[in-house]
Amino acid sequence: MTVDTTPVLRAAGLGKRFGRHWALAHFDLEVHGGEVVLLFGANGSGKTTFLRLAAGLYKPSRGTLSIQGHDSVKERLDCRRLLSMVAHDNYLYARLTALETLRVWVRLLGSPARDSDLIPLLEEVGLAERRRLPVGGFSAGMKKRLTLLRTRLEQPKIVLLDEPFSALDVAGQDLVEGWVERFREEGRTVIMASHNLPRALKICDRAVSLEQGQIVWTGSGSELVKREEKAS
Amino acid sequence: MRLLTQTLTVVRKDLLLEWRGRSRIISVLLFGVVTLLLFSFAVGPDSAALRASAAGFLVLALLLSSTLGLSESFRLEQEQRAVEGLLLLPVDPIALYYGKAISNTLFLVLLAPILTPVALVLYAVETEPIRLLVLLGLWAAAAAGLSAPGTLYAAMTSRLQSQDVLLPLLLFPLVVPVLLATVKAVSLILTGDPMEQIRSWTILLVSFAVIYWSICGLLFPHAIEEGR
Repeated sequence: MTVDTTPVLRAAGLGKRFGRHWALAHFDLEVHGGEVVLLFGANGSGKTTFLRLAAGLYKPSRGTLSIQGHDSVKERLDCRRLLSMVAHDNYLYARLTALETLRVWVRLLGSPARDSDLIPLLEEVGLAERRRLPVGGFSAGMKKRLTLLRTRLEQPKIVLLDEPFSALDVAGQDLVEGWVERFREEGRTVIMASHNLPRALKICDRAVSLEQGQIVWTGSGSELVKREEKAS
Repeated sequence: MRLLTQTLTVVRKDLLLEWRGRSRIISVLLFGVVTLLLFSFAVGPDSAALRASAAGFLVLALLLSSTLGLSESFRLEQEQRAVEGLLLLPVDPIALYYGKAISNTLFLVLLAPILTPVALVLYAVETEPIRLLVLLGLWAAAAAGLSAPGTLYAAMTSRLQSQDVLLPLLLFPLVVPVLLATVKAVSLILTGDPMEQIRSWTILLVSFAVIYWSICGLLFPHAIEEGR
């Protein structure tokens, strides 16, 4: 495991308000290179809001968020070049095939879209045989597998995963687990929000508990297990 | 170079999606033809009146069809939040704008070969083939002048439920100069241009198109990113 001491992501006094409701408030977090951080908490606790703020999809209502020193608002494009996000939504066009989808992503990333490079990736997620079918006909799990490939194409410093295990079968969940381990070995940072604690705790270095938009507890995966056992 | 590659990729993706769906082009074409047909019925069998109003009705059909087409162009991007996926890749919002605006322009240009012959038949207009070529050029400039602000406003209103109402309300006042210049120029092509005024109307049309393409390109990143 490669853990760098310089934070790759720093949130200071971060807050996000929707109307009168603060979805995230007084949020301070530092995440280092090669670290796998799990965000957990009940629905509406602010996990997705934080991930969307980190991805620059929301503007903070208060506080700052920086990625490798780049301000998430003023240097949005620089920040986005450093991260990859897989969210609840699939970001897919129903009428494009799996292979066409990858071609579009790769071209937009500025690389040549060679099928000889893309088909092995589709094989890895079990979609190679369906590569010429429109993704509109895919199951939720298949769509998720295809969307997860973005993390492999972008080669990011930070991977943001919002419920990475949802909609996936056991093999798919094993695949995500393997990828997260691989990202850690490569020195990439992973921040994920998940309700699948048994899976997520196996791979995380640090767990952060959220309640009503605030961090209420931080500790290692094993500490969280003990805490949950004590609570039950 | 990266901006150009991203722009062309967005154009290619949009055209492919359009080709796969075809529903937008069919519905917009039918809408345009029906509009021309209704206008000709409204004027009646007076061939002189029909000829005199041909240019106005043709441009009106383009305008109404374009609104329908433009609002649809961003609907696909909102499904599964695909536009968010593009921004996260990260695609420069300027490349996204020009990609969408170019594909919308091409889409509107495609209406010309269908709507123009229909208008010529319905409004009893006789013209030389060379003038039809000039008309196609003008149509392309008008399509560009409508697509540039249309793409911007379609992006701004795409997240709203009232997009179908808001888009024309915002777009129509802004494109008045484009419409006036197009109607005048098309009218001169179809009915004759003894004073050689086409050139000045065309310059006006192209100038507004260039202004819209420049300003809307600068505004688009704010429209697509702000308010989130």
